[in-house]
Amino acid sequence: MASSQHVLLSPAELAYLHASLNLTPPIRPDGRSPTQFRPLVAETGILPGTNGSARICFADGTEAIVGVKAEVERTRTRHDFPSLDEGTEDDDDLDDNQNDVIKGDNDWVEMTVEIPGYRDDDAGTVFLSVMLSEALLADGEFTKRLWINQRFHWKLYLDILLISPPLSYPLPLLSLTTHLALLAARLPRLKSEGDEDPLFDDDWAAAPYLYPRPSEKGSKATAPAPAARPPVTLLVMAVGNNIIFDPSKEELAVADVALAVSVGESSSTTTSTTSSKPTAMDIDTEETKGHNLRLLSVRTIDPPSRLTPPGIPNASNSAYGANAGVKDTEKKKQQQEQARTAESEAVEGVWKAPRGGAKTLVMATMVQKVLEKGGVADEVLDALDGVDLN
Amino acid sequence: MASLKRSFESDPFAQNISSKVYVRSTKSGKVQKIVREVYLRQDIPCSSKLCNACLKIAPRDAANRPIPFVLSEKPAGTSVFTQGHYIVPDTNAFLSAMDLFEQSSAFYDVIVLQVVLEEVRARSLPLYNRLVSLTKSEDKRFYVFFNEFRLETYVTREENESVNDRNDRAVRKAVKWYNEHLSKTSKKAPAVVMLSNDRDNLRKAKEDGIPAYSLANYVSQLKDGEQLLDMIPEMEERDALIEKKPGQFLYPEHYTLSKMNTGVKNGLLHQGIFNVSPYNYLEGSIRVPAFPKALLILGRENINRAVDGDLVVVEVLPKDQWKQPSTQVIEEEAVTMNENPTEEGSDLISEKERKVLQEEAKRTLAKTTEGHALPTAKVVGVIKRNWRQYVGHIDQSSVSSSAAQGRKQDSVFVIPMDKKIPKIRLRTRQVAELLGKRILVTIDAWDRTSRHPTGHFVRSLGELETKAAETEALLLEYDVQYRPFPKTVLDCLPKEGHDWKVPASMDDPGWRDRQDLRDLLICSIDPIGCQDIDDALHARALPNGNFEVGVHIADVSHFVKPNNAMDTEASIRGTTVYLVDKRIDMLPMLLGTDLCSLKPYVERYAFSVIWEMNSNADIVGSRFTKSVIKSREAFSYEQAQLRIDDASQQDELTNSIRTLLELSKKLKQKRLDAGALSLSSPEIKVHMESETSDPIDVKTKEHLPTMSLVEEFMLLANTSVAAKIYEAFPQTAILRRHAAPPKTNFDELANQLRVKKGLDLSVESSRALADSLDLCVDPKEPFFNTLIRIMATRCMMSAEYFCSGTQSYPEFRHYGLASEIYTHFTSPIRRYADLVAHRQLAAAIEYEAVHPAVRSRGRLEAVCKNINVRHRNAQLAGRASIAYYVGQALRGKATEEDGFVMKIFSNGFVVLVPKFGIESLIRLRDLAEPEPAATYDAETYTLTTTGSRELKVELFQKVRVRVTDQKDETTGKRGVKMELVSTY
Repeated sequence: MASSQHVLLSPAELAYLHASLNLTPPIRPDGRSPTQFRPLVAETGILPGTNGSARICFADGTEAIVGVKAEVERTRTRHDFPSLDEGTEDDDDLDDNQNDVIKGDNDWVEMTVEIPGYRDDDAGTVFLSVMLSEALLADGEFTKRLWINQRFHWKLYLDILLISPPLSYPLPLLSLTTHLALLAARLPRLKSEGDEDPLFDDDWAAAPYLYPRPSEKGSKATAPAPAARPPVTLLVMAVGNNIIFDPSKEELAVADVALAVSVGESSSTTTSTTSSKPTAMDIDTEETKGHNLRLLSVRTIDPPSRLTPPGIPNASNSAYGANAGVKDTEKKKQQQEQARTAESEAVEGVWKAPRGGAKTLVMATMVQKVLEKGGVADEVLDALDGVDLN
Repeated sequence: MASLKRSFESDPFAQNISSKVYVRSTKSGKVQKIVREVYLRQDIPCSSKLCNACLKIAPRDAANRPIPFVLSEKPAGTSVFTQGHYIVPDTNAFLSAMDLFEQSSAFYDVIVLQVVLEEVRARSLPLYNRLVSLTKSEDKRFYVFFNEFRLETYVTREENESVNDRNDRAVRKAVKWYNEHLSKTSKKAPAVVMLSNDRDNLRKAKEDGIPAYSLANYVSQLKDGEQLLDMIPEMEERDALIEKKPGQFLYPEHYTLSKMNTGVKNGLLHQGIFNVSPYNYLEGSIRVPAFPKALLILGRENINRAVDGDLVVVEVLPKDQWKQPSTQVIEEEAVTMNENPTEEGSDLISEKERKVLQEEAKRTLAKTTEGHALPTAKVVGVIKRNWRQYVGHIDQSSVSSSAAQGRKQDSVFVIPMDKKIPKIRLRTRQVAELLGKRILVTIDAWDRTSRHPTGHFVRSLGELETKAAETEALLLEYDVQYRPFPKTVLDCLPKEGHDWKVPASMDDPGWRDRQDLRDLLICSIDPIGCQDIDDALHARALPNGNFEVGVHIADVSHFVKPNNAMDTEASIRGTTVYLVDKRIDMLPMLLGTDLCSLKPYVERYAFSVIWEMNSNADIVGSRFTKSVIKSREAFSYEQAQLRIDDASQQDELTNSIRTLLELSKKLKQKRLDAGALSLSSPEIKVHMESETSDPIDVKTKEHLPTMSLVEEFMLLANTSVAAKIYEAFPQTAILRRHAAPPKTNFDELANQLRVKKGLDLSVESSRALADSLDLCVDPKEPFFNTLIRIMATRCMMSAEYFCSGTQSYPEFRHYGLASEIYTHFTSPIRRYADLVAHRQLAAAIEYEAVHPAVRSRGRLEAVCKNINVRHRNAQLAGRASIAYYVGQALRGKATEEDGFVMKIFSNGFVVLVPKFGIESLIRLRDLAEPEPAATYDAETYTLTTTGSRELKVELFQKVRVRVTDQKDETTGKRGVKMELVSTY
């Protein structure tokens, strides 16, 4: 779906909205602070048949469900690698350097996004799913969690469903729901060793989480976990120099620039909650509070404001004010010139679609704001921590 | 936002709903998370006749009658529970001691929990079937309680709890509930006792205050518990195992299942059925799909606890360990004679075994240059044990003198009758009673630390060498179903019993589409004393100069309808088993020997195949019909022969038999021309004293032309029917095929013939083989040809039943009969396959609708598989019975007979005595004392002995042997013993 949904606002209303968001501090139509998220309700484990699932409802009525399903799949052997048959003969060697050979493949994750009312090959839908999977696969660490042994891996199917009409651009909703679903996802516990055909524990309760919890440090992580939580993608927009998080549909309609920023958490150095390395934990818990965030990807979103019809300043409105009743051709010419300047230059109080690229400085600030310690991303992650995952 | 999850707090029925979540791995490698909702109820009755509360709520049947309760109101007591008790065994109690629960002296009022029943089914299907039949028996009072659906007894799996632990907890919870529930009914309510052999489970039960005993403890509380004690396997001593140092493991560890699966899929390991050589207990072989010839498995360590018949996984050994199959006879008893069952040897291979191995190695080394070595393999794991109950007897030498008197538990060895099964270590308190008896034992386990498998005693069959014990042993050993027919089966018989008659009125539904052939001159020809007459014949000249020939087969399918209890029982039995003095029927006597049997002078239903033949025995036309016949006479082969030979007999019946004989000769010639083989196996007959039925004499069977008369027409009928049902049901016809033997099977025999007699055996086709067998004659020795035929028969594949959809048409061929298509049709009274063929033929001629049972390919394949096994077992049992009686007939007599050397080893040779149809091994050490030295030349199949007795024994040589009877110490069988008198 396109981010440029039809916004039924008049140029005057757009201008008003833009002006109020451009104030310092900005005044948002729903009274939120620039960094405040809309309230949301989240729960996990709503689909018992899946490996992990989550559901989030935003206060504006949009609602999404994500289900994670995992299947065992045979890994295709590559010919530039030492052939398998040699490998299986000598299990001991393999066990020794097992950690070195863990590697993932982006094919192991299949993501589908479904938005009601849109075809699945709609450009907007495809773009959404690319953004979400890009964030997930960007650092190449995620797929390592799906590695079972040299010959087998988990194939993960992420089914992302928006179940309400797309009242606002659903990216943050879908991303947060996916994040929760992945957090809640568990894979059956592996019982076999080495490169044997995998055998799994039949006890679901014993299945480890895809993203191991600190409480279950003892449980076997499938891979060394550099990122202990799945990424989140946040939608940030700017109006003038103001940076506004989680814009509503109306706010997005007057955005100068909109960015989708994906952040992940790298736990290897500092983190309080989710490190899988116990040593790091001991050292760092006291020191810092907050997440150690890492930028994974940034995408600009074409803001719908660009397609809004401009307002016409009185000066150039021929049916009104100065132009009315003028007959002189000389004057007309002059006025037309004036109107042209009016079109290209902002007139206070008259809506004009933003043009040109975003300012680098603004962009940089937006990214920085996301990554800030104690910033929005931190808050969001903290908030999601509070969701009961069982 | 309202949660989408089922809220257990707000839902009033929430406590009735639970869910199970588990991971299922499918065979194809898929791993699925399975979520099942469980709906719990409170109206599942406890089924105790004491309980009125349950009676009120118990579900009722359609007539609104409650289902009668099972558990008695006055259950038996024990020394501890004098007020009476109900028993709740856990899974391993059933798995390890099912025999105990089948006892009639104790074990009444048993509550079988659903969770236990399901576990038993998952672990062992045969035991499950036995348990189910127990729950159905009315007098044992076994009640299946669905604890998994009753609210109070349902348990959810806890975190990190194994399924077994969860199920054990479910058992304990059910026992606890039962006790609480029953205590409400009356003050002196019976106790509910858990039986388990799992220490952990017992300990936890104790902690919870639940009455629980181990099987042994429980049995000792019973009145005559002493005898039952031996049927209890030892408690699993897990702790004891761990204490043993790894150095004490005698056998290599088995691979994990996943490792084996991976290996088999990769083609590095191979899976197959393990077979032990009947001559050498340390040599096994395994046929795997990857190799054309079987792989050898040599030595105890490589066999690694596999028992004959197990489904195992093997790994091929490196080439330097490849060997020739042994040319020596190694019998377990001879080598491991003086082992002590109580002390486990610390080394795997005993001194004597080692010596044998050394000799073996020397021999192979001497010959490795020839490259005859065969690939060898070692067992790395067992996929599925095929352990059954084994018949054997206690090895006298393994009994310590103190044990023979006292009643303390003692370890002894049981030597199974089947030489392919290793000795079984048995702990018993009744050594003194069991010595010299045939006993039934089962194998419980075979640990890495124990050289022999351990087992427990099931029951005693009786004194060795008594007829009853030996016959039962035989039937058990060949898995013949010999129990009397259950009531459900007898209920399927016609109500009139022996008074049943063909309805007089032609309007009776029994006459529908039946042809009236009562006016034909039909007679039957069978062996003397035959009661189940399957077939009858007639022939008459037609006006056009041709002959009408009819084969009439008992119409069993009229009486045995598909899928009723009788049909099911017959399909399980598969065939009638003929022992020397006994017949184990496939169908109840009433049908087999009366209603179906085509007895003379009475009207009977039949299924007729009628041909029109010209005088050359070419078939002009054929038809099939259900009919009513009246046999004029039941001849024995001898009577019929006399009548034919007596020229004065010129009545119509005799003449028609003569016609049949003429035609049959032509048919036989045609068959032989097509390449049918005339094979041979030594056939003998034991003559019994009529009153005591003690065997008095043994004779080889005589062959009369009347026998081949009947045989030819039966073959013709079978072939005609096969073609007809295949035409009607190309996918599901039940047929019989005999695969052409692989050429390699004849390699050995062909080589032997070439070396010893300069004869050539060509095996390109059955025709070529038949011709070259005809040429295998020794002018001086008429029996030589028969000997070669016997040996050639043993190189053949065995014929098998199959369902036509499973093979392509060229594979249908019957090699031995040189027939393109063949089935069994002519003996429905004694073979189940024939019964199926009857049903198919009836459907093919549109006499009746096709029953789904004869149309479902899956079912037919299962039937074929079963009857193939049963058929083979019946043959083996029959032969074993003859062997036993030959031994008995020769008891106390010694005769000198001529014999022939059939097989030659480096330390002995096998002699066949045609007169008795027996073969026996003569070892070097039997020749003279001390054992003569010998050299064996494998190239010329010659064994030359020197020293105490100088002899030269060659293959096919005629020898004079003294035949005496001897009790074989290893198997406890009385068999013949041969001593070499002289060579010719």
